[in-house]
Amino acid sequence: MGLMQYRANFLLQFGVGLSSAVGVLLPMVFVWQTNPVIGGFTLREAMLVSAFFLLLGGILGTVVEPNLGATVDAVRTGTFDHILLKPVDAQLLCSVRQVDPSRLWEVVTGVLVGGWALAGLPPPTPAQILAATLMFGSGMAAMYGLWVVVISLSFWFVRVDNLRFLLGAVVDTGRWPVTIYRGWLRTTVTVLVPVALVTSYPAMALLGRLELQAALGAVAVGLGALLVSRGVWRAALRHYSSASS
Amino acid sequence: MNRVLDRAFTFFRVALAEMVAYRAEMLIWVLSATMPLVMLAIWDAAVADGPVRGWGQVEVTRYFAVNLVVRHLTAAWVIWELNHLIRTGGLSTWLLRPIHPGWWSITETLAAWPMRLVILAPLVLGLILWRPELIFWPELANLFAFPLSVLLALWLMWSVQASFALLAFWIDQSMGFFSAWVALWGLLSGYLIPNALLPLSLGEAARWSPFYATLGAPVELLLGEAPIATTLLLQLAWSMLSFLLLGVLWRRGLRRYGASGA
Repeated sequence: MGLMQYRANFLLQFGVGLSSAVGVLLPMVFVWQTNPVIGGFTLREAMLVSAFFLLLGGILGTVVEPNLGATVDAVRTGTFDHILLKPVDAQLLCSVRQVDPSRLWEVVTGVLVGGWALAGLPPPTPAQILAATLMFGSGMAAMYGLWVVVISLSFWFVRVDNLRFLLGAVVDTGRWPVTIYRGWLRTTVTVLVPVALVTSYPAMALLGRLELQAALGAVAVGLGALLVSRGVWRAALRHYSSASS
Repeated sequence: MNRVLDRAFTFFRVALAEMVAYRAEMLIWVLSATMPLVMLAIWDAAVADGPVRGWGQVEVTRYFAVNLVVRHLTAAWVIWELNHLIRTGGLSTWLLRPIHPGWWSITETLAAWPMRLVILAPLVLGLILWRPELIFWPELANLFAFPLSVLLALWLMWSVQASFALLAFWIDQSMGFFSAWVALWGLLSGYLIPNALLPLSLGEAARWSPFYATLGAPVELLLGEAPIATTLLLQLAWSMLSFLLLGVLWRRGLRRYGASGA
């Protein structure tokens, strides 16, 4: 909670969180203003997608990104040894060591926007809510797996900062409903960097538009990403030559 | 004069060599900034049912193809480097050199052009193959005004970024203010939304903003949708204004600079 000590900075971050939420929502309003239905989504339905996108950004920024940065630094400077010496699983420790509470603001806006969007839509059934939760969970698992793979890469290539930027750029495409994308762009955001699983799929589940096949595929991608990332992580650990040995 | 040119040339050669040395990083940087392609997909779907305010799929493709190129020709990254230098004290080394550190940064920014163009070429070619109708012949005057407009946009972008970076002399975490600028810039510069497709009065008002001067102006100039003289003058005015501001911030900031050895 180191960030809470610097109150002025915390307030500033708060403002930054607000401006990033505005930066997600306003373009959407302006685009939909020219056409009421784009890719089969009305503005309110698309807002549901961006609500999940804000949630994703908030969670990534609060929990995943700070830990990724800390781990990459630890590998570069050699302090990663301290982590390995502890009796807890290193991957778990690397995933929960640091929290950046300033990005929680995005989670709050995400919930507010999602509530507003749902208020004007037919209420989802319990089964649809369950499906949406499952989709969001699988998607987050897939994103987490991807981040673990990027961390693991830093054991071989010390500088992975740029890779994080590229990943961030692809994640950014998840703020728009996936039905808009065609061809290779769609493949990228559903399979390669499965950001659509976190943003569009839960929204489609709540709207009752998700097909069973796609839902099962999403769960498979989530589980697969967890398994693969665990494998890559262990291979990376074997490759790690510590600072002291 | 000859000596100045000589030095400038040497600077440029070194900067260019550096860009080539870090070509893999450059590739990733360029690919990270392909937002115009995503926006092209969005707008392509938005106008799929019929043109909006005269913008059909061809116009949208043309706009974002030019947008992509201009975005990369006007890309500066001085804020990250300068901010870092001030906060770590690395600026001291630069201040000791007999030449103003700004010159190096400007050279470096320009030296990225050849590399960026090489990486962008296949992307633009792909767009042309996908939708050959996007090819167009600009008026001769617009064609000549375009490079000038791009240079002015780059100058403005560079001095705005440098100004934000100099806030680090006073505030510890100055990058937050820049995020707010970026959010506004995305909306009003024409980067995500062509100004013609913004709500009408907002789009008109945004055409006078510094945001538009950094991106929308050169794009619309090449497309022949902006008046040449007015647009260039507006860009010149904003560039000089921000450059003056940068100068003031630089002089005041240096007096406050307290790193070891300074």
